[in-house]
Amino acid sequence: MLADEIAALLPRMRRFARALTYHREDADDLVQIAMERALGRSDQWEPGTRLDSWLFRIIKNAWIDEGRSRTRRAELFAPAEEGEHVGDDAAQAHQQRLALQKAISLLSEEHRLVVGLVLVDGLPYKEAAEVLEIPVGTLTSRLARARDALQQLLADQTDKTRRMP
Amino acid sequence: MTFSDDTLMAYADGELDPAERAAIEQAMQADPAIAATVARHRALRADVAAAFAGILDEPVPARLQPRPAPEPQPEPKPAPAPVASLAAAREARQAQEARNARRRWSWPEWGSLAAMLVVGVLVGKLAPGGAPPAIAASGGQVVAQGELAAALDRQVGGGGGNGGNAGAAHVGVSFAARDGKYCRGFVMGSAAGLACRDGAQWRIPVLAEAESEGSGGYRQAGSTLPPAVLDAIDARIAGKPLDAAGEAAARARGWQPGR
Repeated sequence: MLADEIAALLPRMRRFARALTYHREDADDLVQIAMERALGRSDQWEPGTRLDSWLFRIIKNAWIDEGRSRTRRAELFAPAEEGEHVGDDAAQAHQQRLALQKAISLLSEEHRLVVGLVLVDGLPYKEAAEVLEIPVGTLTSRLARARDALQQLLADQTDKTRRMP
Repeated sequence: MTFSDDTLMAYADGELDPAERAAIEQAMQADPAIAATVARHRALRADVAAAFAGILDEPVPARLQPRPAPEPQPEPKPAPAPVASLAAAREARQAQEARNARRRWSWPEWGSLAAMLVVGVLVGKLAPGGAPPAIAASGGQVVAQGELAAALDRQVGGGGGNGGNAGAAHVGVSFAARDGKYCRGFVMGSAAGLACRDGAQWRIPVLAEAESEGSGGYRQAGSTLPPAVLDAIDARIAGKPLDAAGEAAARARGWQPGR
C-alpha cells in the first residue's frame, strides 16, 4: 500500500521539513499539507522510482507555495536561546544542536533545501538534484556555497557567545 | 596537484569514484591544508546530521498519518478537512488542540501556539508572592524542592489540573530519557521546565517562561510548553512518553530507572 510506504517515510519527511521551517509546528503543518497532496496525486507516482524523492519534491513545492504567507516565528526566538539551559553537559550538547538548527534557519531558501536534502537527510547528490530538478553540477556548487554560508553563520554565533560577559 | 573546494567537498560526502578518491587521499597525505579542508567538510556534515537526528525518534503526530488509525474514541472526532494553506492547517490544529486540552493534558498536544518565551533566570517566576522557593542550587545543579518537588513525585495521569491556582505546579509529559532516567515536563507560575530524576532529586536542566494568553489565560498556558522545553524533551526522550499506567509504575519505583 502506498499509504503504508508513505507512513514509513514520515519521520524523514518531518526531519526535512524541520530543516526548512525551523519551527516544529510549522514543519508538521508543512508535512501534513504535503501528505495530503501526495495522496491526492498518488497516481502521479511511478512505481519503481524513489518514493522518498517524490515526497521530498512535494514538500519542497508546498514549502515554496506557502513561503509567501508563512509566519517566520523562528525570528522571534532568535535572541532567546542564550542562557536558557542551566547545568549539565547533555544540555550543552543540546544547545549546540539548537545553534546549528538556528543557523540553518538563517540560510536562504535555496541553501536550506540543499542542506536539508544532503546534510540532514543524507541523500546522494544525484537524488538531491532530482528532487530540486536541477543538474548535479548546479547542486554541487549550490551545496558548497550553502556550506560556506553556514560556516560563516556558525562563526558569527561563536563570536557573539565569546563577547558575552 | 590541486583540487577545487567543490571536489574536496564531494570527496567528503562520498560522491567521488575510486580513481578520484585515490588521488585525493594521496594529496591529503602530502598536504595538510587539503586534509584540513576535507575534515572541515566532514565535521560540518556530521554536526548538521546530529542536530536533526533526534527528530527521527519523535512519535509522529497522528494528524500526519496518511490514514487515521482506527482507534476507539470516547468522543466523535470530526474528519479533518483538506488543508489548503498553512494558516488553515494551523487553525485546524488549534481547534483540535482545544478539544484535546479538555480531554487530557498531555504531549504532543502541548503545542506552543501562543506561549512565546523569554528565557533567562526565571527562579522568581516559579513562586509568586511569598511562597517558599520551588527550586534551589545544589552542587552546581538546579534542583526542585518544596511544592514543585512534591508535585513531580506525586502527580500522575495528567491529573495536575488545579483549576485557576496559578501558583500550583502542573506536571505533564513524563518519559524515560536515553540514559534511563525519568524526566517530566512541568508548568508552575509563569515558568515551564523539564525535571529529570537524579538519585533522590529532580534536576532541572531547562527552565523557560511560559507566557499566558491574555488575562485569565493561565489555564491555556498550562497546556503549553515553550519551544525551549519541547526541544529539551526532543533531545532526551527515548521512545514515547509514558501513559498514565507507565507514570504510575514509575512513581511506584520512586522514579528510579527501571532498566
